[in-house]
Amino acid sequence: MIVGSLLIPRFSLIAALGDRREMLAEPAVLAPDPGAEQLIGETSGAAEAYGVRPGMVLSEALARCPRLSLIPPDPGRAELLWERSLQALEGIGAEVEPARPGEVFFAIGGLLGLWGLEPEGVLNKAARSIDSPARAGAGPTRFCAYAAASTSRVRRRRPLVISAALARSFLQPLEIGLLRNRLPGPRQAALRLVETLERLGVATLGDLAGLPRVAVADRFGGLGLRAHDLACGSDHPLRPRRPHEELLAALGLPEAAYGTQLDRALELLVERLVADPRRRGRTIRSLRLEAQLAGGGGWQAKVPMRSATAAPERLLLALGPKLAQLPAPASTLALRALELGPEGAAQLSLADERGDRRREQLSEATRQARAAAGRDALLRVVEVEVDSRIPERRAMLVPHSS
Amino acid sequence: MNAPPPSGFALYRPRAVAVGARDGTPITVGDRRLRVEAIREEWLIEDRWWTREVLRRHYFELVLEGGRCLTVFHDLAGGGWFEQRAF
Repeated sequence: MIVGSLLIPRFSLIAALGDRREMLAEPAVLAPDPGAEQLIGETSGAAEAYGVRPGMVLSEALARCPRLSLIPPDPGRAELLWERSLQALEGIGAEVEPARPGEVFFAIGGLLGLWGLEPEGVLNKAARSIDSPARAGAGPTRFCAYAAASTSRVRRRRPLVISAALARSFLQPLEIGLLRNRLPGPRQAALRLVETLERLGVATLGDLAGLPRVAVADRFGGLGLRAHDLACGSDHPLRPRRPHEELLAALGLPEAAYGTQLDRALELLVERLVADPRRRGRTIRSLRLEAQLAGGGGWQAKVPMRSATAAPERLLLALGPKLAQLPAPASTLALRALELGPEGAAQLSLADERGDRRREQLSEATRQARAAAGRDALLRVVEVEVDSRIPERRAMLVPHSS
Repeated sequence: MNAPPPSGFALYRPRAVAVGARDGTPITVGDRRLRVEAIREEWLIEDRWWTREVLRRHYFELVLEGGRCLTVFHDLAGGGWFEQRAF
């Protein structure tokens, strides 16, 4: 399998800057999210020249560069712009697996012949389909493709394509810092791991791959093993998203609204979303509340529903407490349906079929758990070689289908 | 909350464990160096000898001080000691 990758460096920073892109030439960073840990986000090239790095504690970043501009993050705008790029990629037939805004992976195999006989042709077409200039690369795994794209230049005529045979030797000389954005779990843990490895003199992916796996497991645990896997050129298979219709209701607030004005705006948004004809009677399983803050920047909160519903009063009950967390007065409020459920409400049964009801409840619980915690939140055990003498070959965890 | 394990994740994967051994026989286990009270059973597994990833393991079913039972193996091909909870 050949995995393609497109990267747009500093995508969230560029989205937050809006039409002030000239600030990229100055030391500028994304300010910490309101109410979150005081860690800075993406950084401009000029800020990096001062030694300021993404994920750094704000006070340390300011100590290194006192004239650093803090740009309020606008996750809603970044998601919106990125969603347009993803839809453009889906428009050329790519099954995309989005990572954070500015990073996307897709399988190239199915597009060969359609957009060229070589992976380079497909990558060029994909890069042209999105609005912003992107770095493109391909490799046998997601991480290898990411590394290829990271090391290639924007607008390079021939994107870098790494074959499976060359993957390990390609990764070997690359710096260990490439792992920062590719390790699962909390970002802070990934940053700590990479920092520790650098302090121990493990400067390149080849250095890490050369360490005994047992020693890595002993010193760094599961995260270390994952890093070791990536450095050795192995990765999980791609899990593309299902293309979906965008259901969004947005409302510009005439003046910075707060309190009951906001409550009323939320009611209006819910009514608009429920009345959207594109919903075609389907229920809503999870939503995202987004706001443009009057003082600049944006805010968003994800709201998974306990059960899929289209009842405005139940949607309001779930959204109300989130709205109370809004960190500052908002100038725009938007409500986006992230996942839709089946048509209509749950049909009650006259007969007392407990087995059926229990199965339905379990299916619903499965869908809720997925909506709240992601597709890998619920797995089931499948026996593979029950009688194998090698215990780890006997059973595997696979996604639970409801 | 810990992230869930990824799908396609094999169960019963061996975990590295510190084992003190004499002549290839475990005498202490773990960072706390728990003493091995008894070896209930031991056996050898050889597999995939027809590939480059030969698998050779010397398994021991141990009773540790305090009464806990534990299965460990010595990886004779790649080196190192591991515990495994599938027996």
